[in-house]
Amino acid sequence: MPVSQPSVADTVRRLVTEQLNLNGFGHELRPDEDLWRLGMTSLTCLGLMLSIEDTFEIELPEEALQDSTFRSINTISAAVKSSRK
Amino acid sequence: MPNPTMRSTEPEFAAGTERPTKAHVVIIGNGALGLFLADELIERQVGSVVVVGPSHRDTGASQAAGAMLGCFGETTTESLRTDAARTRFELGVSAHDKWPETLRRLKEFAPSDRPLQTTTESHIILNSVGAELDTVNFAAMIDALDQYDKPWKEVAPNDIPGYNPRTESRALRAIHLPTEGAVDARGVLASLERRLRHGGAILLDQRVRKLVGSGEEVTAVELDDGHIIEAGNVVVAAGVHSESLVRTVFDVPELMPIFPGLGFAMIAKRTGGEPFTSVVRTPNRGFACGLHVVPQGGGLEYYGATNRLVHTISSVTWMADVRFLAQYSMQQLDERVASHEVMRWCSGNRPVTLDGFPLVGWMPLSGLYLMTGTYRDGFHCAPLLAEHVANELQGKSGIIDSLFQPMRRPVATRTVEWSIDEYVKHSLAAWFETGAQAAPQMTTSQIADYYRNMAVQAYEQLGADYALGPDILLYAQGNLHGARRVARYLRTIRGGGEVAQPAGASTGAGGTR
Repeated sequence: MPVSQPSVADTVRRLVTEQLNLNGFGHELRPDEDLWRLGMTSLTCLGLMLSIEDTFEIELPEEALQDSTFRSINTISAAVKSSRK
Repeated sequence: MPNPTMRSTEPEFAAGTERPTKAHVVIIGNGALGLFLADELIERQVGSVVVVGPSHRDTGASQAAGAMLGCFGETTTESLRTDAARTRFELGVSAHDKWPETLRRLKEFAPSDRPLQTTTESHIILNSVGAELDTVNFAAMIDALDQYDKPWKEVAPNDIPGYNPRTESRALRAIHLPTEGAVDARGVLASLERRLRHGGAILLDQRVRKLVGSGEEVTAVELDDGHIIEAGNVVVAAGVHSESLVRTVFDVPELMPIFPGLGFAMIAKRTGGEPFTSVVRTPNRGFACGLHVVPQGGGLEYYGATNRLVHTISSVTWMADVRFLAQYSMQQLDERVASHEVMRWCSGNRPVTLDGFPLVGWMPLSGLYLMTGTYRDGFHCAPLLAEHVANELQGKSGIIDSLFQPMRRPVATRTVEWSIDEYVKHSLAAWFETGAQAAPQMTTSQIADYYRNMAVQAYEQLGADYALGPDILLYAQGNLHGARRVARYLRTIRGGGEVAQPAGASTGAGGTR
């Protein structure tokens, strides 16, 4: 019986939640919610980028290394999927 | 092109073209390092020498250099704190001794009547603009001068010819260094080119697209139009382009990153007031080399320089850097600078290695030699490094420490805690130097706390345990590209794998192929 794999968005959600320390606040993170407004800084974004690349074993293209890529779960997931192609 | 110094049997140049198809040595890069090496090789009659590099030298460090012949004027509290830093410092001390003979060699090839050495002395000023870092570096400089028994004396700042700052920016201390001058960088490069052509070297106004070879050796270079030149040895001395060139044939993760240290300076014509007759400079400051003016001869003065580590190699100039340099030259050096006529905008990229030390030595691929990473004093060190590299290419003993082998692990000179402290000091210096304003009730220690938190977080996010220099840490924490390069490289070297050994370093085999 196959084990179901978490979706890209689920994994991104987990990494974002860990990185931005969002656990335990009763906040349901929406996929399009602006992470910069939730307190993400350039430094936490840096750590998020590294953890995304490590977890998915990808290298984001140079042009993806900008603030807008890390704006939400949706934008991050799109970048991950694009890098996996 | 006839070459009186070339061996008679080879290489054979293709008929009907001025471009060779073979050479004993191909040097990639026509900055100070490449040209001085070519000159040394021609002098030693080692065979045919080809230098490849675009004549405009756009983005290069040498064409934009202030070319101060100073090592003590560059002293910081870090310069002599560790054995490795002292070794690096003494490279500059040794290089200094090479310049009188170097200038004698070049004199007859000078492109104009202007002297190549534009001044033989420096004044270092200590004003209160640049925060505590200025003070401790000024003290470190005097300490180093005494340790090495070099001449200096305290002088009244008002007595420095040309020095005429705004009252609120005036220096309260200054020292005179009678043996640290400067050369006209662009004049020296032009003289070298003329001397090289006279000696039979071939200078190609092109770029190298890639190195050619197998997994074990480099045998040729391919130019941007596809022309191939076979080479006995290839020396990559292409400054900030060196890493990507090496990676065209040797793309390994443990190759140390080289970052572009984009800098800006201006050459301006004085329209009035007393001219500067010496280098006048502050100590090295926050993340950069301090404010300085360098006489250029012919009524021209060089004002420099900014430094920011960037992701992309370019010759752009940031508006903020223009503001910085123009305003602080007027305020801290001479009010009359305001009416100077800018004759040339100098922009270039210093090759900055992750550990801040040069990369000089044989690479693991036979026939490939790397010569770069000299950061802000490549010009000054070039004659010495040329002698060293020429020795190694000939299979002789080198004259500099083996510390600078290019495939080394990064040199460690500090703890992470020290690195954070250094970063805070540099950030504070930059804060005050750039005229940033805090609310009057905010104390300096509160600003320091902010920067300290930034640095601590940066280390946490990068997952780094190697202690970075303040400039690299600033770059990594403020730039996703930089952060990724730094984090990946540090992860690679932390893996504990064997670092590839140079092919020709111990035996000189690369030079005897």
